[in-house]
Amino acid sequence: MQLRHIAIALALAVSSSAALAQTKIKYALGDIIGIDDLPLLIAAERAKKRGVEVEITSFKSEEIATQAVINGQADVGQGTPYAAIEKVTVPVRFFVQLWSLQFFPVVANEHYKSWKDLDGQEIAVQGRGTGTEAIMVLMAKTHGIKYKSISYVPGSNVRALALIKGNIRASILDATNKNFLLREAPGKFTVLPLGQVKASDEALFARLEYLQKNQAAVAVFVEELVRVNREINKDPNAVVAERKKLGLLKDLPAKLEGEILPYLRDGAADGIFPNDGGGETAARNDLEFYALSGAVKKENPKVEDYWHLAPLKAALSRLK
Amino acid sequence: MRGWQLASFALFFGLWELAGRWPLSAAFPPASQTGVALWQMIQDGSLPRAYLITLQPLLIGVALCAVAGITFGVGMGLSRAVEWLSLPVFIILQAAPMAAIIPLLTYMYGIGLTSKVLAVIMLSAPVIVMNSYKGIRNTNPSLLQMCRSFQGSRTQEIVKIVLPHAAALIFTGLRLGLAMGFIGIVIAELLITPTGIGDLITYNSSVADYPKMFAAIGSIVAVAAVSLHLLQRLELRLFPRD
Repeated sequence: MQLRHIAIALALAVSSSAALAQTKIKYALGDIIGIDDLPLLIAAERAKKRGVEVEITSFKSEEIATQAVINGQADVGQGTPYAAIEKVTVPVRFFVQLWSLQFFPVVANEHYKSWKDLDGQEIAVQGRGTGTEAIMVLMAKTHGIKYKSISYVPGSNVRALALIKGNIRASILDATNKNFLLREAPGKFTVLPLGQVKASDEALFARLEYLQKNQAAVAVFVEELVRVNREINKDPNAVVAERKKLGLLKDLPAKLEGEILPYLRDGAADGIFPNDGGGETAARNDLEFYALSGAVKKENPKVEDYWHLAPLKAALSRLK
Repeated sequence: MRGWQLASFALFFGLWELAGRWPLSAAFPPASQTGVALWQMIQDGSLPRAYLITLQPLLIGVALCAVAGITFGVGMGLSRAVEWLSLPVFIILQAAPMAAIIPLLTYMYGIGLTSKVLAVIMLSAPVIVMNSYKGIRNTNPSLLQMCRSFQGSRTQEIVKIVLPHAAALIFTGLRLGLAMGFIGIVIAELLITPTGIGDLITYNSSVADYPKMFAAIGSIVAVAAVSLHLLQRLELRLFPRD
């Protein structure tokens, strides 16, 4: 009897590991792969060694990547499409936070010096209903000012170039492009102070049905993502070394290569990489923040309507 | 509208409705939902406001092309030197993949109106110029010989023979130029900065309001098609075919 049980357990273990060995997660990235995707690339490489291949495809924008997930052409998407998740008929849920918002409001010194100077002025953000707009609106409320208008200019790199060229005078940039701007035009721009904003910048989402059917594979991937985040928080240099060891982002120009460590170090110092995958705390922070941005419209939104935490819990139980 | 035309529309919208209800994909709404969304956007003013923004660079661009493009095309048709200098540029512009080039405009001209007007010009100018050029070049040689045999001056030859003869083709160029202008402005609003109709498409896509996204796309297709149809009717009235 005991032997039969062992045989069944072995058969199940073999079949599940065989199933895992064949698992491929089609990952929709709504951007081109950059240095901020290094943690993802490392996690994907490690997951592959454990039988879960993460096939990353770059899409033109987050919207198209989200559509691919909704339509079932991709399994997992990256971003924070709370409004889409709320509206779409197919249940889609977030399951892990990659990193929280880390943006920097930047103004041209020639025109502005402080938040008060932006009263009645034009600003540029990523897009309508995005986190960048929500941050700027929140800051306007905090400082008792009102913008003349908000322009939508997708791409932090595009806004950084537009700031340098003088096409726009006030905007909000991600860490990489803020560093680029301050290096390219030293002394010409000021980074305005920003209070603590705790919300996801990038989280992973998938159709609920997919998460339920593929929990084992998703949990392996999540485990590796959380592991990389913990390594960044512990020692960003180790992650830079891991990149070289795994041969990731080989074509990166030397100029950008030098930006990897500051990005990871600053991010770790600001606590943007969660050690626990965000979980319920991140979900609650997101719902509060994205309700303010207008992306979440439901009254008294519940975590379970937007997040599915089972794969993260499974991953964390193995990491402890 | 004739019966078969109505039947064609009914078949198209019927198939669309079926595909949406099936559903073809979670992001593909039925025609009825799209129609309701269109009506909502008209009523809340978002669609008319978007068109006010979108039509501005489109009309400026097409107007500039109409004046400069026809002048250029006529110049190329009348002068071998102008033709030699300009023809390769417009042939290259016609063949170039504009969706790849338009985003580069932001590096030179920023993210405002200028870039969008230039996007319209880059798409519509080659068509207008080339049609004007061909219209002039295809003037019936017998008519030109007749003018010369009647001692007509070069100015009379151009004003009384060449330009009237080329007018139909020039007008066709303007119509096709407007069609290309619509393509140019939508590409610019999707690739440079989302404003007007481009903003409605981008925003509604980002919040998964697919009926409104399809309504915005459908509306620009309809506006373009109706404008071109009206211009074609005007063209047929002004220059009846033999």
